Amino acid sequence: MNLIIRVTILFVLVSLIVFLVGGVISFRIMMREVNSEQQHFLNERLNRVIGMIERRKPLDTIKMNKLMIVPLNKTKEETTSFSDTLVMHTQLQRIEPHLKLEAIRNVSGRSYFISLYDVIIEPDDIKDGLVESLVTMYLILLGAVMVIGFISSYFILKPFNSTLLAIRKFSLTEPDQEVNFPKSGIKEFKRLNLFLEEMTAKVRSDYQSLKEFSENASHELQTPIAIIQGKLDVLLDAGKLNEGQITQISSAQSTLQRLKNLSTSLSILTKIENKEFDKISSLNLSSTISEMLEEFRELIDLKSIVLTKDIEEDIIIEMDEVLCGLLLTNLLNNAVRHNWETGKINISLKGELLEVSNSGTDLNVQPGELFQRFKKSNQSSSSLGLGLAIVKKICDLYSFKLEYLQKEEQHTIKISFRN
Amino acid sequence: MKLLLVEDQIELASSIQNYFQEDGSICEYASTFQSASEKLHLYQYDILVLDIMLPDGNGLSILETVKKNQPEIGVIIVSAKNALDDELKGLDLGADDYLPKPFHLAELNARTKAVFRRRLQKGQNLLIFHEIQLNLETHEASVEGEILDLTKKEFELLHYFFVNQKRLLTKQAIAEHLWGDYMDTADSFDFVYQHIKNLRKKIASAGGNDYLKTVYGVGYKMNDI
Repeated sequence: MNLIIRVTILFVLVSLIVFLVGGVISFRIMMREVNSEQQHFLNERLNRVIGMIERRKPLDTIKMNKLMIVPLNKTKEETTSFSDTLVMHTQLQRIEPHLKLEAIRNVSGRSYFISLYDVIIEPDDIKDGLVESLVTMYLILLGAVMVIGFISSYFILKPFNSTLLAIRKFSLTEPDQEVNFPKSGIKEFKRLNLFLEEMTAKVRSDYQSLKEFSENASHELQTPIAIIQGKLDVLLDAGKLNEGQITQISSAQSTLQRLKNLSTSLSILTKIENKEFDKISSLNLSSTISEMLEEFRELIDLKSIVLTKDIEEDIIIEMDEVLCGLLLTNLLNNAVRHNWETGKINISLKGELLEVSNSGTDLNVQPGELFQRFKKSNQSSSSLGLGLAIVKKICDLYSFKLEYLQKEEQHTIKISFRN
Repeated sequence: MKLLLVEDQIELASSIQNYFQEDGSICEYASTFQSASEKLHLYQYDILVLDIMLPDGNGLSILETVKKNQPEIGVIIVSAKNALDDELKGLDLGADDYLPKPFHLAELNARTKAVFRRRLQKGQNLLIFHEIQLNLETHEASVEGEILDLTKKEFELLHYFFVNQKRLLTKQAIAEHLWGDYMDTADSFDFVYQHIKNLRKKIASAGGNDYLKTVYGVGYKMNDI
């Protein structure tokens, strides 16, 4: 739900409560005022009645319109009391609440009981008037709030929306891209923008140093590895070693080889990220695949894998030649490495869709996860888990669509070169 | 064969030096741009093994000078930079080969021998080991005149043994030489074993001796019997 709609609804609900409570309070205050006016009015009439009694000195009970005078036999103390009563209204012909004044007055040495009642404004009329005016006011307020809310929200939230747009355009991998957050006079938006500016700068510099670290790490590893490998080669070649020693050295060398592959693969990933492969040219994918398959033929044969291929002629794609080689190498390597003896590999290239499928054991992980670095189905396997990460990086770079499908023991990687 | 090794990592340089001296090559060593330039100016070398990342200068400019003044020297660039740009630039400037660090010494040895043969033993395309002959031009191997039916990889493997005679070649070094980065170590053992087996069989059926000696299951060595 839109922020403005939510605020408006809240406002409307609160003002409804305020109007209800306010209505009740207004009604009470008005009634109090009317009451005191009526009491005033009755008191004045009482004074006039007393004047009349002084002049006439009535001996019998007098009943007149809204007035009753009863002469009392005994002298009594003077009292005054107001009360509510229901009387038939003469004009309206219905029972209405009236205010009644009952008093005992001693006039010229005689006590009189005087009863007066009257009404100036009926409470019903007050209530009706109040409700009508309040409802009208409420409706006007409602309309105004909605109109002003929507119009002003457009202007007030404009900087906020621009900020959102700026965040959406933000790209971590393009350090040269400027992130401009719009200026705003509103304190909250100023704080938001300030915070976002600091955050994007921090994220960028963190990302940059991380990138530089992996770049340097893989570079710097090469030299020590080269030294160790050289030393081991010299040791092996010395020829004065027994079987145990040679086996130990050889196993150290295999481990070193893994380290070497690791640092090479990481450095390739970093280079792809840094867009160092940028010599885009038109490549004949069909013939590149065929050449690549020739390179792999021996590996495929040695594992007695059956290769079937269905490659459409002269499919041309636009990409860096080195990356294309890397992509195909990693795909084929993957298909051979994770295959069985006497397994199957099927390669099909149709239009802009390349499919490489191979037989292999069930995955222990979600297929999509295999594109993450160091993710392998079998954690103990000697593969590095970087091959498919490289494939993914390359596909991401060119916005190729990449999919990994597994159906029973058939694994398929699909790449759509349409970007 | 007289080599100049330009390498700022002394540890690595001493291993390389050690390895080359084993089979009688003369391997001199310079660790800086300065001393390399001096040595090249004063002495004659057959092969220059050049690390292009030097503390006091870019190895590529040594390459330029050498190509200008002593074009007969064969140059092999070694670099930890693993950068294609440098590789291409180096080869453009006339380097004979490029070897990214880290490498097996046997690999460096093979490449050096290949450059030496191409540059200084012009037309010398025959390698001979007892009754086995390798013709590097036609890519044919023969035992006492009988041509062996070798695959491309088997020929490369035999060639690798020829240039690294009497040296222990581990399965890793062989696999890397034959397949480069395509394979990981676990698989490579079987593949190397298969190739050696086929190679032995083919040499034996042509009446050749088995000079390929298995060393404790970690590698192979081509020795006189």
